[in-house]
Amino acid sequence: MKNTPFKTIKLVSMVLVIAALAFLASCKEDDPKKEDTPELITKAMLTFTPPGGGAAVVVTATDPDGEGVRELTVDGPINLVKSTSYTLTISLINGLVAVTEPEYNVTDEVEEEGDEHMFFFSWTNNVFAEPSGNGNIDNRPDAVLYTGGANSVDVNGRPLGITTSWVSASASASGQFRVMLKHQPDLKSDTSTSNTGETDLDITFSVVIL
Amino acid sequence: MLLSIFLMCVKKIIIVLLAFHACTSANSQTPCTGVFTGHIQDESKQPIVGATIILLRQKQGQATDLSGNFRLENICSGKYKVRVQYVGYQDLEFEIQISGSVNRLIELTEEVRELSPVVITEHHDAAHIEYANNFTQLNEKQLAEIVGKSLGEMLKEVPGVNSIQTGPGIFKPVIHGVHSQRILILNNGIRQEGQQWGAEHAPEIDPFVASNIIVIKDASAIKYGTDALGGVIVVNPPELPQTAALGGTFNTILQSNGRSGTVSGMLEGGIKNHDGWGWRLQGTGKRTGDFNTPNYSLTNTAIKELNFSASTGYHKERAGFDIFFSHFATEIGILKGTSIGNLQDLITAMERPVPQYTSDFSYTIGEPRQEVSHNLLKLNGHLLTSQGEWKLQYGFQNNNRKEFDIRIGELSKIPAIDLKLNTHTLDVEWETLHSDKRTISVGMSGMIQNNANVFGTQRIPFIPNFTNLSGGVFGVTKLYLNAWTIDLGTRYDYRYYDVTGFDFKNTLFKSSFAFHNISASAGATLQLKSNQTLNLNLSSAWRPPNVAELYSLGTHQSAAAIEYGLLLNDITNEVMDIKDVNFKTEQALKLVTTYQKVWPRFSIEVSPYANLIFNYIYLRPEGITQNVRGVYPYFRYTQTDALFVGADITATWQVAKYLKVLPRVSLLRASDVTNHDFLIFIPSNRFEVALRYERPALSTLRNFYVETKTRYIAKQGRAPRVLTVREIITDKEQNIDPFKDDSSNFDFMAAPDGYWLWNLAIGTSVKRDRVQYDFRLASENTLNQQYREYTNRFRYYSDDVGRNVVLSFKCIF
Repeated sequence: MKNTPFKTIKLVSMVLVIAALAFLASCKEDDPKKEDTPELITKAMLTFTPPGGGAAVVVTATDPDGEGVRELTVDGPINLVKSTSYTLTISLINGLVAVTEPEYNVTDEVEEEGDEHMFFFSWTNNVFAEPSGNGNIDNRPDAVLYTGGANSVDVNGRPLGITTSWVSASASASGQFRVMLKHQPDLKSDTSTSNTGETDLDITFSVVIL
Repeated sequence: MLLSIFLMCVKKIIIVLLAFHACTSANSQTPCTGVFTGHIQDESKQPIVGATIILLRQKQGQATDLSGNFRLENICSGKYKVRVQYVGYQDLEFEIQISGSVNRLIELTEEVRELSPVVITEHHDAAHIEYANNFTQLNEKQLAEIVGKSLGEMLKEVPGVNSIQTGPGIFKPVIHGVHSQRILILNNGIRQEGQQWGAEHAPEIDPFVASNIIVIKDASAIKYGTDALGGVIVVNPPELPQTAALGGTFNTILQSNGRSGTVSGMLEGGIKNHDGWGWRLQGTGKRTGDFNTPNYSLTNTAIKELNFSASTGYHKERAGFDIFFSHFATEIGILKGTSIGNLQDLITAMERPVPQYTSDFSYTIGEPRQEVSHNLLKLNGHLLTSQGEWKLQYGFQNNNRKEFDIRIGELSKIPAIDLKLNTHTLDVEWETLHSDKRTISVGMSGMIQNNANVFGTQRIPFIPNFTNLSGGVFGVTKLYLNAWTIDLGTRYDYRYYDVTGFDFKNTLFKSSFAFHNISASAGATLQLKSNQTLNLNLSSAWRPPNVAELYSLGTHQSAAAIEYGLLLNDITNEVMDIKDVNFKTEQALKLVTTYQKVWPRFSIEVSPYANLIFNYIYLRPEGITQNVRGVYPYFRYTQTDALFVGADITATWQVAKYLKVLPRVSLLRASDVTNHDFLIFIPSNRFEVALRYERPALSTLRNFYVETKTRYIAKQGRAPRVLTVREIITDKEQNIDPFKDDSSNFDFMAAPDGYWLWNLAIGTSVKRDRVQYDFRLASENTLNQQYREYTNRFRYYSDDVGRNVVLSFKCIF
């Protein structure tokens, strides 16, 4: 009689161990599938193309490890020839996937949801002849030329800015060029500012007018 | 609570020195070594914790422990009049002859019932014995006064328990400064397993299932396993009925803040001509719209909840079994204004007088939001033999958690986090029969758990998949030595993890590791003279790290900071093996003492504690990094030694026959001992005074009460330094690392000021045709005070909630 509790404990512990092993064996799952990551932007590329012809100027800001510790590397400066018109196209790239994958180019998503997105720009005063001023990051009504392509504006005719137009200054100059992408679901309007919504991109390049 | 009972009893005791005379003169041959033990329960066989039993002739009384048991020692042989009392129940008086050892089973009946309380003489105590020392109970009456809130919010009423909030809808209990995976929640005896690592993951338990909730504040609850560094919260449903009589309750609660409506019902009974069988069905539905601060609406804080549970069982004194199933499902909106992209967005959010996206009141829940469901199946059985009792319990839990963010286009409809957690637990226990000298309980438990990310989120998973196998053995004993009751316990646990996840490059990695450790507990309860009791407990507890602490990469809990897990290489971000990192498991040593003293009109309970947690895992700021979105400070999970010291003081002062004053103080002082630094989100000191007028009977009204309560929550003076967002951005521009010479914790914003809250309540019961009707009208934050709470993670974005008027109606039949 006295041995019964211990015998039962032994029995129960054996049952538990067998059950655990059984589960372990039966739970031999396949490896989990890798997720697509269509929202991850690891590289932003700015291409300044002279519409009249000539070499394009390309600068990129690359985040080598997504949300990892390593810093964003910004190349540049943006070397522009003075008194020249340029069309700027912005591409947002997901560097974690192959070029052939659809989510490689995140800009397509932004364009599809153009009515909820807006690019804002700011620059040092003397680098551009057009537009005048220092950009609309500090003040929404300030001039920025949302022209040059179908994706310059959204379906509602509001500024989007995947393509924009610029004219470099007539004299040598240097300064900074900042690009911001805001996601403004249900908030984008004729007056929504660079403080409205959430920031999806905020990078600054140096710019030199030669 | 215990004290108010002590008080009510003591004030009725006629203090006579004849007791001494009776002892010496009546029977000089029989010394005063009589022992009177027993168990007090209610009609549904549920133990009553904290009931008082007094031998009227002597100044001797006691409150029942967590199992409803009492033990009176050193009684001189003779005849005694005994009184048993408990708030809300009919007083019981009876006579008893005590010589040697006497045992009784006492059944109390509620005051509004027509039945009388019962004393049963022949009783083999098969009642479960609890081995914890320092605890507070919220009984059915107290739960009825805070009903309509989520579990985490209700637990704030327990001294020493606070909460970490994520807006007005998500509350996580904090016991003595620790929370999440440092406290254990037992849902009907089963460890609640449901992504509790997350600070914004509230416990998925319907409080309407419980008839009492016990908070054990020391780590002595050895039986239940790892993780109880701060304490254990035990949510107990009532015992199943054993007779065929049909009964039930129906509850409706309306609340003004959030325009909320909650409905809960319960039906229970037995099977005719088959005594011992019982069943119960229960369900709760809740719908809340946007909450509001005194000045604006908190857009997208609506809540939907639908829960139900069913149970059945058969119980006789020798054996019995239960089957229990519960389903909990909720959808919670997250304040839309907290959606930010980068640090610059945070400055703008902090400086806004009204959060972004604020619009008119609505019941709609949009992104960001959470959808959680939790299913629990429990099977248990018990068998009483001549030597002891066997208990076997199996539990299965299925937890599904989906979190939705504001995302590009159609992706908003797809969860950003989608986790499925399945857990099997098996517990076996053997306990000796209750004896005068000692009780022993030994047992084993096993757990198999699997966590899987459900495919389709189109995001790199925040935490990896894993399988966890755990096993443990324990032994606890309770010894009775004269005026001392001693509890000793020890436990060994082993945990094995098999992890599969994706790193920052979206590449698969696999890892496996194991942890094992011993926990121990030693406690004593001493009955001193002059109605004093002293409880002491020293215990050690440990916990394995959770997967978020090891592997997290990214901006999960707030978009204003990036977190890196312990196992991520600080240069390459690669996942490292745990052996290559100097990792030690968290181990806590907690000392809790509770001293109670009762005078005729005043009683006090003082409970100081100290909890030293070695290898405490926390997030330490490490630097500022920049990615395409902007600048972010980043934190890494690291280990330090932390010390939590505090005291909870509660008192009851019976000013007049029906009027009492209830002051309460909770103090807490937490520090990072290794780095001489403060820890973040530690609850501040709080002070409370309530004035309560209570009459058991007032013409046709029963249990009538009016209460006014004032609370003061002090500013957290021991908060980390402030490093504003602007300072961080400027430092980055100038290439300064603000953490190089000073890696102490920081906060983006100073701790909010202290604030006052005034609550009022009035309630009563009425009985008609065997049905009891309870009414309650209350207001919280009556003055509509504007304030921010330091432990609310949304304090960066908005104020806390304004006035709330609660109307509650319950019928019991």
